[in-house]
Amino acid sequence: MKIQFFDSIHISPPKNKIYSRLGYAENLTVLTWEQRKKIDENIEKALDSVSLKGAGVRIPIKAITSSEIKLSKGIIFKSKSLVKFLNDCQEVLLIAATAGERVGECIRQSSEGGDMTYAVILDAVGSEMADSALIWIISYFDNQVKRENKYVMKKRFSAGYGDFLLDNQKIIWDILKLKKIGVNLTEKYILIPEKTVTAVSGIKLISR
Amino acid sequence: MKNIKNILRKKVLILDGATGTELQKRGMPQGVCPEIWCLDNPKVLKSIHLDYLNSGTDMVSTCTFGANALKLREYGNFDVKKINRRLTAIARSAVGKNCLVAGDIGPLGKFIEPFGPLDFDDAVDIFKEQVKGLIQGGADYLAIETMMDIQEARAALIAVKEITDKFVSVSMTYELNGRTLSGTDPVTALVTLQSLGADAVGCNCSAGPQDMIKFILEMKPYAKVPLLAKPNAGIPELIEGKTNFMMGSEEFSFYSKELALNGVNLLGGCCGTTPEHIKELKRVVSKIEPRYRLKKSISALSSARKTLVIDRNKPLLIIGECINPTGKKVLREELQKGKTSEVRHLIKEQESKGANLLDINVGAPRVDEKQMLKGIVQLAALQTNLPLVIDSSDPEAVEKALRVYPGRALVNSISAEKGKLKKLLRITKKYGAMFILLPLSDKGLPKDFNETKENIRFIFSQSKIFGFTKDDVIVDGLAMPISANPGAALETAKAIEWCSNIFKTSTVIGLSNVSFGMPKRALFNAAYLAIAQSQGLNMVIANPLSEELMNISKAADALIQKDKGGLLFCSNFKKECFSNINPSLGEVTFCDKIFVAILEGNKEDIKSYVQEAIESGEKAYDLVHKVMLPAINKVGELFNKKEYFLPQLINSAETMKIAFTFIKPYLSDNKLLKLQKKNVVILATVKDDVHDIGKNIVALMLENQGVLVIDLGKDVPAEKIIKEIRKHKPILVALSALMTTTMINMAEVINLSRKKGLDYPFMLGGAVVTKSYAQTLKVEYAKDGVEAVRVAKKFMRI
Repeated sequence: MKIQFFDSIHISPPKNKIYSRLGYAENLTVLTWEQRKKIDENIEKALDSVSLKGAGVRIPIKAITSSEIKLSKGIIFKSKSLVKFLNDCQEVLLIAATAGERVGECIRQSSEGGDMTYAVILDAVGSEMADSALIWIISYFDNQVKRENKYVMKKRFSAGYGDFLLDNQKIIWDILKLKKIGVNLTEKYILIPEKTVTAVSGIKLISR
Repeated sequence: MKNIKNILRKKVLILDGATGTELQKRGMPQGVCPEIWCLDNPKVLKSIHLDYLNSGTDMVSTCTFGANALKLREYGNFDVKKINRRLTAIARSAVGKNCLVAGDIGPLGKFIEPFGPLDFDDAVDIFKEQVKGLIQGGADYLAIETMMDIQEARAALIAVKEITDKFVSVSMTYELNGRTLSGTDPVTALVTLQSLGADAVGCNCSAGPQDMIKFILEMKPYAKVPLLAKPNAGIPELIEGKTNFMMGSEEFSFYSKELALNGVNLLGGCCGTTPEHIKELKRVVSKIEPRYRLKKSISALSSARKTLVIDRNKPLLIIGECINPTGKKVLREELQKGKTSEVRHLIKEQESKGANLLDINVGAPRVDEKQMLKGIVQLAALQTNLPLVIDSSDPEAVEKALRVYPGRALVNSISAEKGKLKKLLRITKKYGAMFILLPLSDKGLPKDFNETKENIRFIFSQSKIFGFTKDDVIVDGLAMPISANPGAALETAKAIEWCSNIFKTSTVIGLSNVSFGMPKRALFNAAYLAIAQSQGLNMVIANPLSEELMNISKAADALIQKDKGGLLFCSNFKKECFSNINPSLGEVTFCDKIFVAILEGNKEDIKSYVQEAIESGEKAYDLVHKVMLPAINKVGELFNKKEYFLPQLINSAETMKIAFTFIKPYLSDNKLLKLQKKNVVILATVKDDVHDIGKNIVALMLENQGVLVIDLGKDVPAEKIIKEIRKHKPILVALSALMTTTMINMAEVINLSRKKGLDYPFMLGGAVVTKSYAQTLKVEYAKDGVEAVRVAKKFMRI
């Protein structure tokens, strides 16, 4: 079980997704040239406060029952929906990505300083960048496993959804040793920095 | 190597197909090290090589994709060279001498600096160890493949080139969006790798053959070297619960034919392809005449993610000059302390103002230029997509920087100075860079235009020995101060004109030299730039932060028709994309101005508009109720119709807040304050939840409606909320939560409130909260700030 850490992830900012998260609707939202310019400038500025890091690990599935997944090293995830999600998978891929501490700090400062417009842009940029980093990590592992005639599912499942309870966040946090990339977990299983995401995906064999 | 190049002129070289998937088919278990398993089961590996030979391949690849020290270490301690040697020998013994053997080199599985933790030279050394084994085993050709990081591809290529002159190909793996995982596009990879000495460049894995056609079409116009493609057997598809490579050999060969017709010179298969695919490919492709016509040279620079083609007929290219400590105290002191925040700032600033390239010069007293230049180049490679200009007179510093730069850089500069000329040409060539030809000699500045021409011809003739062409060279027109020599500017213009029209090279000048010692330097610089552009100047080292200069250069491009019809000029000054909300501002009243300012979120001017309105006799109460509130309500309407999105909504709300704060003292008989006291709303993010941006938006929106918002913050315990309810007797209690686990704490607050006999209305909101959840608790729900206002209005007392 070798954890792969990504100390510095560099991706093109998903501008369309950032706009969408902010509620932009193609063919409906009307923006003047100045407004667009200002928002784009704010997005660029917000990107400066993002520092993407991540981690991922492949873990073979030992057994699956109707309600739990048993992994090597005695790790167990209890969730019927996760069992369904990982149907036919040989391994799970645990992944995490964080946009770093600074973006949260900037959101707080902007909010308190009365610049809510910038705060919501920072918020959207932080969320989408962390999310894109997660997609990037999935693609990274997908490239790695291809030679083994396997692929990583594009979909992912996160703790806190359905019956995959949020306390599983602790298991993921421990396994991925997320402290190494500056991610902490509160007693209530909230990831700090705020713009941090974890997920479970599955690795399947490509049939011959 | 000549042999392979000769073959490529005559035919499309057929490469083999997948090894990994074939090994699994033939019994290799999951989870083992393929290289070690093959050494233990040489017959199986041989059978794969033989099957590919029999299917008609011209070249088989060794099973050494993961045979590097980093990958092998995952399985134990192994002798890297020995493993590569033995696996190459197996391939050779299987196919004999009539088939080529390609020594296969895969990625290390770690990102290399500046994109990752692995030291660049360490990576080169790891690759070298593998390359030595492959050559000892008898590889005819080295195939670097499945690279997703251009820097890793460079490290592998440099490793090969520093050991052997055997034919070497590099293929990158592109996602379906047409970029590698690290963001490099096919043309950029091609420009970087072919200039660094790759004999063939291409793509493999990730995509099927039909998807690769577009990558090949993008690369072909810029290709100085043959192109390679090894597609997968399509993209795996899920059918009846099983995932499979669905592309059969016939379909594969159909698209492969298209690849060959569009200019692929080396063609094989990657994951999912079999000897059957290669047999069919051979049958179809062997009849095709190869498209071997290649570009002799190309004038283009690259970063890790972008290519900049230098075309003398296109608008002027600006090389940002600001990262140079000469005359810049702040930058100099920072560099001396080893700090980089000013550099980071200058990178971003110059890029945002329209620079096309960035000059990097860190030469200053008490700065270790060799280390600093390397460090800043790595930093800039991360910070910007613009190609870099390596500016130093120290050949060692230049070499260190070029070695780690993940693109094709421009060296600034190479003169006829005897001690450095050949050294710098050798370094520049080795790392595939272009260079600025500075027509100086050991005698110093040329005394006239004729000597300038002589120097240019001499330096260029020396560079030709190293294989440079005119496309690799930008001639410096030597801009000199007119304060020292009044005729200097005209001499430079002559040199530019001669280079552009007679010698036929690109030209550049260090613009600010011309105005040295003169007053109003920016004016001189801008005026001279336009003159130089008219003589053919196509690059300039200048300050992109000077708006005057940037605008003049754009205007000059339009005037000399490098910007045809002035389209770029016009688009640069275009004021609006579109707008359907601006009323005509012909005869506008102050009220109109306030209305529009709130509508457009004009925070800068709103205060003065309100002040002007009040001074002109408008009543403050009327302004609030007849102008400001209708304006913010209109914003809410636009938001609901999605004509506005969140930043516009918030910006307008903040503008409204500025207006509100300003107008409060003017409200006679304190009507507003009375209204606010009657309309208190308590806001809180519930216990254990630390997310509060949505709550803050709601607070802002409610305040603009004349509501007094008591914001209790985030992670607020139920007891505290109850205490505040008792104290303020609000018209509404608004609770927010972002997580499913904290959402339940909303119910706790509501139940506790009811238990204590506090019958106040509640409103819930937050990403995971739904209307039905609110209904189960018999409370109000608001999906966003605008809806929160609508709900609050139901309870407001007038």
